[in-house]
Amino acid sequence: MAITAVSTVATIREKFSQAVVETNDFRGEQTIVLQPASLVAVCTYLKKNLHYTYLSDITAVDWLERIPRYDVVYHLLSMRDQNELRLKVRVGGKNEDHPSVPTVTEVWPTANWFEREVYDLFGIIFTGHPDLRRILMPMDWTTHPLRKDYPLSGFDLPEPHWGGQIPYDVDPGVGSQTLRTPFSRELNESRSRFSHTQEPGTEK
Amino acid sequence: MQIKDMKTQYTLDSGQALEDGQRSDTMTINMGPQHPSTHGVLRLILTIEGETVVKAVPDIGFLHTGIEKTAEGKTYHQALVLTDRMDYLAPLCNNLGYSLAVEKLLGIEDEINDKIRYTRVLLAELQRIASHLVWLGTSALDLGAQSVFLYCFREREMILDVFEDLSGVRMMTSYICPGGLQAELTSTFEKKVRAFTSIFPDRLREYHDLLTNNQLWIERTRGVAVLKPEDAIAYGASGPVLRGSGIVWDTRKAFPYSGYDQFDFDIPVGSNGDVYDRYLVRMLEMEQSLRIVNQVMERGIPAGPFRVQNTKIAPPPKWQITGSMEALIHHFKLYTEGYRPPKGEAFVRTESPKGELGFYIVSDGTAKPYRMHVRAPSFANLEALPTMIEGCLLSDVVAAIGSIDIVLGEVDR
Repeated sequence: MAITAVSTVATIREKFSQAVVETNDFRGEQTIVLQPASLVAVCTYLKKNLHYTYLSDITAVDWLERIPRYDVVYHLLSMRDQNELRLKVRVGGKNEDHPSVPTVTEVWPTANWFEREVYDLFGIIFTGHPDLRRILMPMDWTTHPLRKDYPLSGFDLPEPHWGGQIPYDVDPGVGSQTLRTPFSRELNESRSRFSHTQEPGTEK
Repeated sequence: MQIKDMKTQYTLDSGQALEDGQRSDTMTINMGPQHPSTHGVLRLILTIEGETVVKAVPDIGFLHTGIEKTAEGKTYHQALVLTDRMDYLAPLCNNLGYSLAVEKLLGIEDEINDKIRYTRVLLAELQRIASHLVWLGTSALDLGAQSVFLYCFREREMILDVFEDLSGVRMMTSYICPGGLQAELTSTFEKKVRAFTSIFPDRLREYHDLLTNNQLWIERTRGVAVLKPEDAIAYGASGPVLRGSGIVWDTRKAFPYSGYDQFDFDIPVGSNGDVYDRYLVRMLEMEQSLRIVNQVMERGIPAGPFRVQNTKIAPPPKWQITGSMEALIHHFKLYTEGYRPPKGEAFVRTESPKGELGFYIVSDGTAKPYRMHVRAPSFANLEALPTMIEGCLLSDVVAAIGSIDIVLGEVDR
């Protein structure tokens, strides 16, 4: 009997009944929501027995008002049977700033960079990851930009100055994210405390 | 410097070996973000032992512009414009992937008529040829074949002429939008496409004459940067990188979209997984894309509306606004608020020239995407780069980067 996405969902429901939180079928796409603790076991089974050998994507969605806050989403592909499947794991308790999910790099090595990206942009820690560090943001960035409570233009913006430019004697602080040209005086340009003639890092 | 010090520095004795037996005479160099051969702002931290690369660590993020975050603040129609700028060498393919995902969310896939579908196929294949021409020109240029570059760009100009005729824009057209196309096809469009298709086979033969059996090219690319098939699948490589390693997989054949199943085309597949095979795969793909374009032109693009008739999604024609109240209201609502797909999510895979491009869009019922994530093929292909170049010479790194055809705009988004 050929394996289809629908039959995969049924098989997983049967074999890992405690691990499955819910399943979903929207526009023909099958989604299985799993318990985080059983993620690696289910993924190994999917890869070895049901031939989902290709991991397309790992990403996350931040549902700010919901507990658990994050949905970590995995998109799988079975080349042998031409099936697609989506797995989800819900993490993030009430005051948990860095929720954790077990890594699937042992199952699919491509997960390495995808999980680094999710860590970088959302702050979700992948336990067991061989090299969890930032990938897109600079190495010393402290916050996680894709979270819903992170403003689009970043922090350190000067307060809006209704009707005109920032008064020249206001020091807006380190607004390096909005610094476009060093000497322009456009609206919302923020003059950082960095000197433009001295190399960063060499200040006393 | 004293002669004694020089001797200490430059003589290697066994005492210099580290505990794990590795020699300590490796050098770590930086193939910095600004480099003529890294095809964008890619930084590679290479540890080399003599001329051989022992370890390669890519450092990306220099072109990260927060497209996914920005899209959360724009309506679905506005976010379309952001998608052009990710894989900036194949903007129409990005638009197509995005449009298919939004149409899936909206549930209007059945309303997309044949005219829209065949035009999308035509434009996507022309875009594939244009993207491969840039790849060919730049990677040949990196390896020293400087004349190929201008020949490829000369052909690409003809394709950009077609896009300009249709949308007014050469590259970032945003012409394929959720609901159909942005504007009606022009009367001069077919002539321009035929002008291109009539000269391109000869030009393609010229490129083959220049490179395919060229001894220098073969020496630089055969056996270089081999990616084994198991590694290709394990690292999530896709597109010509995957097919060059021998895996037969093309999203246009496996999950046909936008009417691809109605056209006849083959998938070139390599055998060795080296740079030469990836080169040949892309050359043959250009031929196959031309074949699809010819089939669309032969079949003729059917007559019909260029966007869905559902005015809650696609704006009504401008001339109706002065006469019809509903048209005015729909136009107003669409351009101020935008359409609201039902709650849910969609993930659509398409075959972009770089590989498997996926759009994952989550809707919470409002007019703006709650989350738009792009599965960039170059991101995963770049992850496979260290496996390919460890053990290769430094000059092979340049050949390898050229062969995986990365676009940093989509790696970093």
